Amino acid sequence: MDQDLLVASPPVTAVGTPDGTHRPRPVQTVVVTTVSCLVIAVALATLVGQAVRGNRTVGAQVSSSAMHDASVDDAFYQCIDTQAHSLVAPGRSVALSTDNLADVVTMIKGFGSWVRVADPAARAQVVLTLHNNVAGSGTCLGTQVVGTSVGPDGRTVVRIGTGAEVAGTGPPPAPPL
Amino acid sequence: MTTVLATIVTLAALSAVGFLPVVATVGPRWFAVPLAPLTGAVLAALAATASLSFGGALIDWFVGLAVVAALVVFSIWVLEPERGPWARPSTRGTPGRRRSRMMGVVGFFAVVVSCCWNLRGLRSPTVGFDARALWVMRPGWFLQSHAQLLIDMKARGLVLSQSAYPPLVSATTAVAWRITGIHTARVGVTTIAVLNICALAAAAMALVECGRGVATRMVTPAASGVGSSGVGSSGVAVLTGRPPWAPMVTGVVAAVLLVFVAAGVTEPFLTNGYADPIWSLAAVGAVAYGLQSRSDRSTRAAAAILILVAGLSKNEGLVTAIALVALVAFRTIGIEGLRAGWRRWVAPAVLAACELALLAWWPVLMHIIGARGASSSFTASSDAGSRTSAVVHGMSPYLHVLVVALPLSIVGGLVLRSVRRRGEVGNDLWAWLALAVGLVAVGGALVTGSGAIVPWIRSTVHRITEYPVLEGWWIVAVWAVVASSGIRTPHAKGPDVGAAGQEVTADDSLTAPADVTGVGAAS
Repeated sequence: MDQDLLVASPPVTAVGTPDGTHRPRPVQTVVVTTVSCLVIAVALATLVGQAVRGNRTVGAQVSSSAMHDASVDDAFYQCIDTQAHSLVAPGRSVALSTDNLADVVTMIKGFGSWVRVADPAARAQVVLTLHNNVAGSGTCLGTQVVGTSVGPDGRTVVRIGTGAEVAGTGPPPAPPL
Repeated sequence: MTTVLATIVTLAALSAVGFLPVVATVGPRWFAVPLAPLTGAVLAALAATASLSFGGALIDWFVGLAVVAALVVFSIWVLEPERGPWARPSTRGTPGRRRSRMMGVVGFFAVVVSCCWNLRGLRSPTVGFDARALWVMRPGWFLQSHAQLLIDMKARGLVLSQSAYPPLVSATTAVAWRITGIHTARVGVTTIAVLNICALAAAAMALVECGRGVATRMVTPAASGVGSSGVGSSGVAVLTGRPPWAPMVTGVVAAVLLVFVAAGVTEPFLTNGYADPIWSLAAVGAVAYGLQSRSDRSTRAAAAILILVAGLSKNEGLVTAIALVALVAFRTIGIEGLRAGWRRWVAPAVLAACELALLAWWPVLMHIIGARGASSSFTASSDAGSRTSAVVHGMSPYLHVLVVALPLSIVGGLVLRSVRRRGEVGNDLWAWLALAVGLVAVGGALVTGSGAIVPWIRSTVHRITEYPVLEGWWIVAVWAVVASSGIRTPHAKGPDVGAAGQEVTADDSLTAPADVTGVGAAS
């Protein structure tokens, strides 16, 4: 059998060395090794430099000022969320007043996830609005959520949100876009 | 339940759902670990899409899809036991295995520890602007009734046009809220941050695998150009010695450095609930496994999962993912595959078609239901030149990595091409092509968009350039790994070289399957 003939034979692979490799030229080996060293040095040096910068960037996220700003922002939106809850009974449909685009965005951020938005807006049972720069207590950094609805007697009822307040004046510190 | 506990519970649920599909497709590889929760997130996104398409609660669809996926996996394993993870060839007791296996363990834990360290930004209770306005607000919509969900997506009074963006981030948060009962933006942010880190870990582990693979190939006969695939009769790689340390150690070091670099590039959005990091990191991982790693079943499956994560997360990710599907399919098939007949290309083509169908489902649905923001805002602007100039000038400061990556690629391509090919690392041009695709996707949207270009760029450039920047750093890192194998060639004598022709493997359960179809064809 052919197999018997090959028992003692080394594998025939390629011209050159017995294990089938082309014998590298010394110059080529030196060039490849030198360039390899250079590439590793440049690549790792730049990666290390950028990694150090990256570590600092991550560290900046937990600086006291960043933590404070995030806490104020969080408190503000929790506040208007709570006030909105005080104005909208479960199951009631809502419209967000579109008089001020920034206020619409603020309301969406605060309680857009749970309100039942009416479409068209005219069918809404409660219209929610923000009143800004309100002095006194009971506000979220000077902002109040106001609900307007039509009472059983057909009269317009305006209620102000309750249940939470954040002292101070707004707007809250802007998080990065 | 605290936010931390809620996040852990959510991660466990996503991992449990994704476990079987990942084991069945990727196999028992280290990088399968971070892919499991990401697969769960993909199923959550598909559940949200199905819920919006056909009605029914999102959580019911999520559980249903998980059950179906598990049944499919078990059916395949019962009908074809040879495809199960237990059918892998045993390599216990073979020399060379221990070294590569140890580096796999070291690399895995090094990446995990560095990832955890870079999650410390979560100590700040930050919820990003867009996160609060969209990504962790929309989950509430997914938990409302189908009729209300349709209103939420369509009502013009809600003004936000971004609500038509792909669903993965919001759907995953909705699942977290439903499972834990805690409906807070904070739970959404922490869940997404953990998924971001999973995508980053998967991409970084590709470097560890790259180092181990290069080292293994340095001591396989195929690496010497003998015309063999380097695969023995038992179905595992035939090694002629112990794999050298340098590429493996460099792979681990580069992976850890990439984690720190990526965290710096993506913060503060990595930990404040934005969708930009997850699609960017997943796309980098998809390039790593689909276009840069040796093409086998595991890497192609990993690439497919990460492509779905990228494409189901954000519009820019969707465009990039579609391009990556085409690139990965073309690399898998290759020119030779096209010439070889339909049997060679039909499987990759079907896989690509399935991926495209899943990616297209959400945007097509948005158009069908007339969702807010689904219609195109493209404009044939007469000031395309000035917009292009503004885009180039706005992005340039963030792309300084290209100043390093480009010369490295040119020098490496000229001098180390054979070293790279011997290590069976994909051609560098694939990565550059993928980078260009991402740049064109984002730049094209900015140039053809209708918004005021300067404020648009100023407010978004930091995060919309994450993908090309990360891809640039990936290119730099992989050249470091490749070059580390150029210093010590397999011809060099040394204590690492064992008995020639001895059949050993780089590791056991972590060895790539002996499926080398398409390798070399296009790389």
